[in-house]
Amino acid sequence: MPWSRARILEEAEKCAYCGFCEAACPTLPYGRHRGYGPRGRVALSGHLAAGGQASSEVLVSLYTCLTCAACTLKCPAGIDIPSLVRAARSLVAAAPHKKRII
Amino acid sequence: MPSNPKRLLEDLKSLLGRNKVIEDEAIVRLYSREPSGLESPALAVVFPETTGDVSRLAKYAYSHDLRLFPQGSSTSLSGSAVPLDEGVVVTFEHMNRVREISVVDSITVVEPGVRIDELNLELAGKGYMFPVDPASSAVATVGGAINSGAGGMRSAKYGTMRDWVLGLEIVLPDEHGSVLRLGCRTLKCRQGYDLVRLIVGSEGTLAMVTEAVLKIAPLPEQVVVALAFYPELRDVAEAVVAVKEQGVQPYIMEFMDDRTVEAAAKTVEVSVEASGHMFLVGVDVNREAAERTASWLSRTLSSAGATRLYVAGTVNEAEERGFFTLRRSLLPAQMRVAREITGSPRTLVYIGDIAVPPSKLVDAVEELRSLEAKYGLFTMIGGHIGDGNLHPAVGLDPRNKEQARRVEEWYLEVMELALKLGGTISSEHGIGLLKREGLRREFQHLGSEKALELMKGLKRLFDPKGVLNPGKVV
Amino acid sequence: MVDVKLILSLLADNVERTGYPVPIDPRRIYSWAEPLKLPRGGRTVLYTGALYQLVPYINSLVRHLESLERRKGGGLALRLAKTVGRIVDLGKIVAKADPSEVSTVEKVLTSIANLLSAAGVEYGYLYENDLYSGVLLYDMGLDEAFRRHAGKVAEALKRSGASLVITVDPHTTHVLRKVFPEYVERFEFEVKSYLEVLAEKGRRLPVKTPSEPGYDVVLHDPCFYARHEGVIEQPRRLLALAGLNVKDPAKSGRMTYCCGGPVEAISPSLSKRIAETRLDELRAVGGRIVTMCPICYANLRRAGGEVEDIALHLSRRLLGA
Ligand SMILES: Cc1cc2nc3c(=O)[nH]c(=O)nc-3n(C[C@H](O)[C@H](O)[C@H](O)COP(=O)(O)OP(=O)(O)OC[C@H]3O[C@@H](n4cnc5c(N)ncnc54)[C@H](O)[C@@H]3O)c2cc1C
Ligand code: SF4
Ligand code: SF4
Repeated sequence: MPWSRARILEEAEKCAYCGFCEAACPTLPYGRHRGYGPRGRVALSGHLAAGGQASSEVLVSLYTCLTCAACTLKCPAGIDIPSLVRAARSLVAAAPHKKRII
Repeated sequence: MPSNPKRLLEDLKSLLGRNKVIEDEAIVRLYSREPSGLESPALAVVFPETTGDVSRLAKYAYSHDLRLFPQGSSTSLSGSAVPLDEGVVVTFEHMNRVREISVVDSITVVEPGVRIDELNLELAGKGYMFPVDPASSAVATVGGAINSGAGGMRSAKYGTMRDWVLGLEIVLPDEHGSVLRLGCRTLKCRQGYDLVRLIVGSEGTLAMVTEAVLKIAPLPEQVVVALAFYPELRDVAEAVVAVKEQGVQPYIMEFMDDRTVEAAAKTVEVSVEASGHMFLVGVDVNREAAERTASWLSRTLSSAGATRLYVAGTVNEAEERGFFTLRRSLLPAQMRVAREITGSPRTLVYIGDIAVPPSKLVDAVEELRSLEAKYGLFTMIGGHIGDGNLHPAVGLDPRNKEQARRVEEWYLEVMELALKLGGTISSEHGIGLLKREGLRREFQHLGSEKALELMKGLKRLFDPKGVLNPGKVV
Repeated sequence: MVDVKLILSLLADNVERTGYPVPIDPRRIYSWAEPLKLPRGGRTVLYTGALYQLVPYINSLVRHLESLERRKGGGLALRLAKTVGRIVDLGKIVAKADPSEVSTVEKVLTSIANLLSAAGVEYGYLYENDLYSGVLLYDMGLDEAFRRHAGKVAEALKRSGASLVITVDPHTTHVLRKVFPEYVERFEFEVKSYLEVLAEKGRRLPVKTPSEPGYDVVLHDPCFYARHEGVIEQPRRLLALAGLNVKDPAKSGRMTYCCGGPVEAISPSLSKRIAETRLDELRAVGGRIVTMCPICYANLRRAGGEVEDIALHLSRRLLGA
């Protein structure tokens, strides 16, 4: 089942913000900021689920995730980070599109 | 601060370049938190890439009264890395090169944003290491570790950050954004007053560190690791004494009390049977001595009353068999339990960082347990037993005012008990926001209140306008 | 960086209209199988999920996005909207798929089919019912579009009469095995990657002693096999059986390092830098680099890597073709 908003929030709140996951992430070293790493993506998933704005930086952070799960192996809180990110994407994708393509 | 935030952002962008400034609120919030749960939003985050960037920023901050909050990976546990009031976070994550490794000179020159594990990966290729290894070394930066005066598992043998920094390049928040080079590239260095060691542990309140010359050490040939569990605290203490009486200074010596072990085993998968008080010892040896050491270590730990004992011949084997898993899960376990108890997602974890002389460890743990009863706060205790450093932790929901008050009183009393036993209120996490009162009490206890005045004077000398990490330490 | 929302609606629209994320002639999905005269349907079916076949077309889109990303001035999103915003234009861009890429992909699929047949697996093929799995919709969070599409795929599989579905790439394996059951009611197929099926046959595989001496191969584990689906040991066993000497890079098995492919359409440059990092690690080992996923293959190639799919090695060594 796709995760509910409440489930996304609950998972994101498990995060201790320790950053142990960051060292494993392939995208973080080439990204502009912490949003390109798992710690950031977990927090931003929570931000979206709590009704926060899907700014372009937030979108790019979530959509540059490879869902490769290298981070999950390192997370002491046992967060399934790729699933969380994907669930957060579904919140974005479910929102009505501003531009329709004809 | 410039009267209008829009103007400030434009100024910063023209100062540094557009791509080095982030104002997106959600992204800025990623730089406004610490694992402790403390959070306080900044106006923007800037990403300097050179010392020149930092200097221009410092000069601007001075002339515009802009508050700057230097940051590494914001894994600080004392509140030192969260921005307060309106200000800008200066993150060093894009200044992350290892500039030089010289085995002959036994030094490395690094930018502040290098993560400690990354540095160690490069050094390992040359048979060397940087021995200060906070449990957060996978993520903690050199700049953050210098400024919090970090220690780690190997501190009983190798000391803390202050023992490994030879030289620094710093930027002062003055009218020029002055760049100073302090200290030496040589192990011996008598440059008048020791300004290098003044910066170490200054928590970003005196200057911004833009480069560091660090001492490095050869990797030990081999490390024998033993993991033991004891039913009684006294037995652990006896084991420590027994190990030390062999004339051995272990490479690591870690401790977790029985209930923390139990909670940690529920937080992470542990491959050993974990119950009782945990004692983890590593002894560095020559390859030829490994077997002999493993067997005396087994004997010594057993005769101190270990109910379970596991021994590995090398660090790799110990890693594979999960000997370190429990110890590394200390903080996440503390957080999980805290959250369970408060039943709230908004949970703060107060982590003590006291040290007592190792001979007083048993007294300290027993007193911590009686405090637990007094305050009705479930306390989890772990730490670096080799140097007497304990991290008792409790959780609270900051919205619960009554609980918050109780926790604050508990926190102070923990620090008092360290002082009473001849110890200190902070060993490695620093003062930050959470231990300012503790620091005052420590000097009071020593009859040295004037020391605080000296510190405030130093702060004014380095940072006359109070723009660097204000509200922290003093 | 491209406009995420634009890519999303483009993707959703395309799949909804054509069944595929990029315009492709549906015959291109199954034409590779025609010369093999594989039977239709049956209790065991081969399901490619079209990912291999789509890769040359996705590549040409990525090449286009890459050239846009490099151009200076103006927002990329705008130019993208102008140049690929409409399906017709998108069709023109991806029609430029490199014929040599198309033929490599077809060779890989043919090899997989031949390996299965030689191993004595009795299976049929789906031909025009070999629909795209919809995995990109799922990855991008387009849940509703994915649910609708998955329903169609499940229908097609049911019609084929299959109970065991053999997949050929890690993404399709994962989405079919772990995700479909969550989105489609009573999705009760057993799903196995062909590598798992072949490895189970083990010694019963018809090993022809290869004429050529064995050589060193460096295996790049795809994240979805290694971490999500636990397919780690099977390819190693098969390569060893084929007389090849498997060497692992520093990051391998569960600890593997991503090729960067999954973000190729969102940020071609980021994707490429990750691929370059991975290539350096793979090259450092010394040996011929082997992939098991069309996305890894394409992305490591785009970064200049000389890589080859595992199916080609296995087929040459075990079947002599
Ligand atoms: C799970 C966990 C385990 C931990 N274990 C340990 C441990 O075993 N031992 C230990 O000592 N600590 C430990 N810590 C605390 C913390 O990780 C360390 O203190 C670490 O060194 C902080 O590094 P950082 O890069 O995250 O710095 P930050 O938290 O970002 O910053 C720390 C301080 O340094 C300042 N600062 C950072 N960079 C600069 C710079 N370039 N110039 C000037 N000031 C700067 C900041 O303003 C702040 O005051 C642990 C933390 C966690 C989450
Ligand atoms: S799954 Fe995403 S966040 Fe985690 S390591 Fe991979 S790219 Fe980074
Ligand atoms: S490792 Fe897990 S708990 Fe720690 S920051 Fe990453 S996601 Fe959060």
